[in-house]
Amino acid sequence: MWEATSGFFSNLMAPSNPIWWYYPLCAVAAVVYKATKFDTPRDIARASLHFFLSVSAGMLVLGWAFYLIITLF
Amino acid sequence: MKEPATVRQDRPPPSAISPVAALVLGWVIPGAGHAYGGTWGKAVLFFVLITGLLVGGMTMGGGTVLLPDRLWCVAQAFAGGPAIAMWPLSQYLARRPPPADVTPAYNAVAPYPGIDWADHLHETGTLYTAVAGFLNLLVMMDAYLRLAYPDRHPRKETA
Repeated sequence: MWEATSGFFSNLMAPSNPIWWYYPLCAVAAVVYKATKFDTPRDIARASLHFFLSVSAGMLVLGWAFYLIITLF
Repeated sequence: MKEPATVRQDRPPPSAISPVAALVLGWVIPGAGHAYGGTWGKAVLFFVLITGLLVGGMTMGGGTVLLPDRLWCVAQAFAGGPAIAMWPLSQYLARRPPPADVTPAYNAVAPYPGIDWADHLHETGTLYTAVAGFLNLLVMMDAYLRLAYPDRHPRKETA
């Protein structure tokens, strides 16, 4: 399991991984979406950061879980 | 307790504001609906981010991602004026044959011999422009709803 996990994260962090192209997209989507919900720059910045980190972390955990299932079973 | 930030005074009087005009303006130029409603800070933010996504996606995909005969164009069209203005350029670049010293992509098909459909950057660029369209749709709806139902959106913007 640890080997699979380290393999997953080394693949994920590799500079050649196209996933890096999706982080700016997620960040822009977070700012635009939260700017329609909040009015002050401080609220927008805080909510956008929270949204971006939550979505990124959620996708990371989901990807890791699927990777483990595929690798181990 | 600190009072909420001041209400902006540079918007037209309520009787002169039309939510539909904000919706249409927001489609023609991303963020213009909010500028019409007087929230200039958000207008600039939306214009920079949505147009930036469009231009970034176009650059990423080699300028050939905005094609009006593909299903993606439904989403891209919501980005309004900038996206539609770039359609002819995108079509021109996509229809241009690759240079003689470059081997055409194995999956290049007429009428677009210049596109490698398996190129992940082309795919990502297409997604960027489509998401720009969907985000502009969200922004247009926000501009409309803020003017149509002002009581649901107390004004606190200071930007």
